[in-house]
Amino acid sequence: MPPGYPEAYLKGKPRWMSLDAVADFFYFGFRNLRKQLSIAVLDMGAVAVLWLLMNYVIIRLSTGQIGYTLVPWWIFGVGVVEAAALWESFGRSFGHRVARLELRRTDGREPTLKQKVLYWLLWHVSVLPLFPLLLVPSPHERGSGLELRPFTMEGRVPRPWWRTSTGIYVAWLMGVALTAAISVTVSWEDLVRLFTKAGTTAKFWRSFFSPDTSIILKTIRELIVTVFMAMTATSFAVLVAVPLSFLAARNLMRGVVGRFIYTVIRVTMSIIRSIEPVVWAIFFLVWVRVELAPFAGVLALFVHSVSDLTKLYAERLESIDPGLIEAIAATGANRLQILRYAVIPQIVNPYISFTLYRWDINIRMATVVGVVGGGGIGQALFFYLTGNLWQQAGTVMLFIIALVWGIDYLSARLRAKLA
Amino acid sequence: MAEPYLVVEHLTKVYERGHVVALKDVSFEVQKGEFLVIIGLSGSGKSTLLRCINRLIEPTKGRIFIDGVEITKLSPRQMRKFRRKIGMIFQHFNLIKRATVMTNVLTGRLGYNPTWRTLLGLFPRSDRELALKNLERVGLLEKAYVRADELSGGQQQRVGIARALMQQPELLLADEPVSALDPATSHSVMQYIEQMNREDGVTVLASLHFLSLARRYGTRIIALKDGELVFDGLPEEIDDRKFKEIYGEEAEEVEVR
Amino acid sequence: MARMLPAKVERGRFRRRLIALFLDWMSWGYVAYGVMYFLNDYWWRIPLERFYSTLTLPPWGWPAAVLGTLAMAVVCELTGYSLGERALKLERKRERPLTKEELLRGRAAGKPFWRTQWGIMAVLLLALTVALGWHIVKIDPEALIHPSPRAREMLSEIFPPDFRHFRVPDPAFELRGLPYSILDLMVLTIFMALLATVLGAAVALPLSFLGARNIMGFSPAGWLVYGVVRGFFNIFRSIETMLWAVVFAIWIRWGSPLAGIMALTVHTIAALGKLYSEQVEGIDPGPVEAVVAAGGSRAEVIRYAVLPQVIPSFWAFTLYRWDINVRMSTVIALVGGGGIGDMLFYYKNEGKWALLGAVVITIVAVVWAMDYLSGRLRERIT
Repeated sequence: MPPGYPEAYLKGKPRWMSLDAVADFFYFGFRNLRKQLSIAVLDMGAVAVLWLLMNYVIIRLSTGQIGYTLVPWWIFGVGVVEAAALWESFGRSFGHRVARLELRRTDGREPTLKQKVLYWLLWHVSVLPLFPLLLVPSPHERGSGLELRPFTMEGRVPRPWWRTSTGIYVAWLMGVALTAAISVTVSWEDLVRLFTKAGTTAKFWRSFFSPDTSIILKTIRELIVTVFMAMTATSFAVLVAVPLSFLAARNLMRGVVGRFIYTVIRVTMSIIRSIEPVVWAIFFLVWVRVELAPFAGVLALFVHSVSDLTKLYAERLESIDPGLIEAIAATGANRLQILRYAVIPQIVNPYISFTLYRWDINIRMATVVGVVGGGGIGQALFFYLTGNLWQQAGTVMLFIIALVWGIDYLSARLRAKLA
Repeated sequence: MAEPYLVVEHLTKVYERGHVVALKDVSFEVQKGEFLVIIGLSGSGKSTLLRCINRLIEPTKGRIFIDGVEITKLSPRQMRKFRRKIGMIFQHFNLIKRATVMTNVLTGRLGYNPTWRTLLGLFPRSDRELALKNLERVGLLEKAYVRADELSGGQQQRVGIARALMQQPELLLADEPVSALDPATSHSVMQYIEQMNREDGVTVLASLHFLSLARRYGTRIIALKDGELVFDGLPEEIDDRKFKEIYGEEAEEVEVR
Repeated sequence: MARMLPAKVERGRFRRRLIALFLDWMSWGYVAYGVMYFLNDYWWRIPLERFYSTLTLPPWGWPAAVLGTLAMAVVCELTGYSLGERALKLERKRERPLTKEELLRGRAAGKPFWRTQWGIMAVLLLALTVALGWHIVKIDPEALIHPSPRAREMLSEIFPPDFRHFRVPDPAFELRGLPYSILDLMVLTIFMALLATVLGAAVALPLSFLGARNIMGFSPAGWLVYGVVRGFFNIFRSIETMLWAVVFAIWIRWGSPLAGIMALTVHTIAALGKLYSEQVEGIDPGPVEAVVAAGGSRAEVIRYAVLPQVIPSFWAFTLYRWDINVRMSTVIALVGGGGIGDMLFYYKNEGKWALLGAVVITIVAVVWAMDYLSGRLRERIT
């Protein structure tokens, strides 16, 4: 079927100079550009990462320094581009796998060697200047008689991973990455201390079985503070996140203004979510007075919870059943009525489930936030550990374990009942 | 001859800049009180056609007239008001699963009540009485306050019918109403729809899978194939040749007794 | 006349009434705690031991509190539809048929919830929680609106962020004698997370089979192992990574990346172990039956029936854990785990806010990228 607007379709192929044809050219051209370029970029990125990691390992193991480059930048660039081009032309590259495509002849059969070489040479002409990719099919595809087709397993036998180029690449990458990681993070002295100094902390482990009972009341008090920290943070976070989630759902926010609001909120929440509550706790500890330490902890948990809950809620909103929305719309309901009768009944239970999940996490985080000074039981634990009061630390640890385990169990049971 | 109630003129629906054609130049007329059945293979455009008629899907090209009004020219607000007179039932029932049957049926009156009332769930007494009456009509009065997902498939579809009845519609669109039900329940549900057509004078447009059901209940049949209208006539006029034209060379008829 | 229900249902009903009574008792205990707390804070103010202020009672206090709350609970149970009963949905029976009015209204001639006993109790508990929470956590909107002078200084200097030391190490900042730039330290931090995830997943995978009921539950020894492994998972999971980091930091050396790696690994093993074993327990028993019927040994059952079903979710969970580990590794230095958090803390203490801003932005960018990647990969797997 020739492409074109229905008008054009109903009359035959559009005249090449008409506005429709130009719009079509750019529409399909950009699609092709995006497809080819994304494959190329993925391949180049993969090669670059491997190259940099190999340099890292070589430099670190030979000189003990940290470095990323062994050759001048331009050699690196050319090497990466060439490697990507060769990988794509002569095998099934990483980018091909991600896009689930493969290179085949236009009649569907395996490409010949001559065609692959042509494809490789013409690749530079098509991909590097970028705009030839707007042509469908692109010069390198037209010139070699090959095209990118969806990959199926029909009529073939799978190869074991160690015989595929991507498989070898991934294995090589993992090996180099692990070597690099070990070389830079683990030092011999540290390992030695791990195995020899175990004795000093034996008192800590033993205290699990013989807790110090004098501090029980104090610990329970801190426990209560921690629980309330989590509860307050979660409640306020829910109040803010629920309305925000409606503004952050793609299927509810349509139109130019809607899309803008959606993007802004989603991006902001993503950024806030990337900063751990501990960092937020430090930030808020600078903000409020020192005596108000639990408040800083609550604020930190609140800010992080809002972002996480908004994301979870909005994702759930985006996957509601559209059939019900159709049905309610078919009765003549307006947008608010559709929201109340088609959207909200479907999301109430999942929302509560997410809230319980977040409450569980907030309890855990509340124990941690205390360590940097945010109040609650974490602060007590930190105080005892750094003061070498092992028995007391162990006792507090026992309480933490009991609390977190209990809340975890409760939250799991309640969520099971909701599902 | 009286003015036709529903007129569809050159209806076309295209996706992806012309690459995917769901409906291609479909035109037909429906008189008031007819029971029109739409048949065709899956993917032939039946669902799209039905949804274009109440503009849940916007047609790309073409005009639709209902009772003299060109609905393709109405604004969204006007269309919403117009939809009150068009009831719709769905293949997968599309009920609010966790709500009671009563609430589901009451949603049929959403278009007739002001927003603030419906948001608070305060439907007027007359609506509630109508709901009970319609539930009794489809035989589900005792289940009025049972959760919708605790009912069987046939019962859920009857709730859907009750919901459509609440709108006091002039036109009923049925998108494969019995495809998800077993044969016996299918007949029971189709009979309720037939009752609506005969006793209340509702014009019905139903898309059905089984030709035998179409022959039994329809007063007229249209057939779609790949988005085009390939047959428009009486049920008796479909012979073997026409059948193979509609459904393809390898198709065979299946009796639903 | 009341119908005779079978004995088992009667016992079940009795047990549920007991649980309802217990719940009511706990609710009254909570009210009593709230009362004591506010009394202590506003009235009795025992000066020296403010720390204990919520739980100090005169000698007759404890028994009085326990019995008093129990009595209140019993009174509630007897006089109306109490909260415990509502929570467990213990219905009051009704025998007469519905009237038309009730059918229309949709409510079995009941009172609106704010006039029932359980409704009032629920509202009371909610109000108590809000008041108590506000107070215990020391919420102070004043402090939020008027930041401390140090915070004001921070906000004014943090924009624009100073990326001077992104690739070139800051001479003033040195870790264990080696200069690190932001990029170097970030790479090190990611490596920490990588090692922890790989090691953790590798250990958790075999352990998870030992912690799965459907693999272990065939002999008493098996049940014992299952119990121990599951217990280990739960305990080690209840202690957050950061707390483990403190333990390991003191064990090895404060600020050593190995401490951070160990902490991350321990928590990863416990968390992944639990997730994996839940997956293993949730498999379809059909293929297992098939392999056993064909004469397969236990190992073959695992290899051909269990593994294929759980591998996609194994990858998904591992990716999810990788994402979490990257986030944790960025901050674990704050408790002595090594990594880019050291730089964060250093600049915060020195008050060099512009450089701090650069570090924070790098962390955000990396975490965001990892989050996005892991999300996309997980979509592809499931």
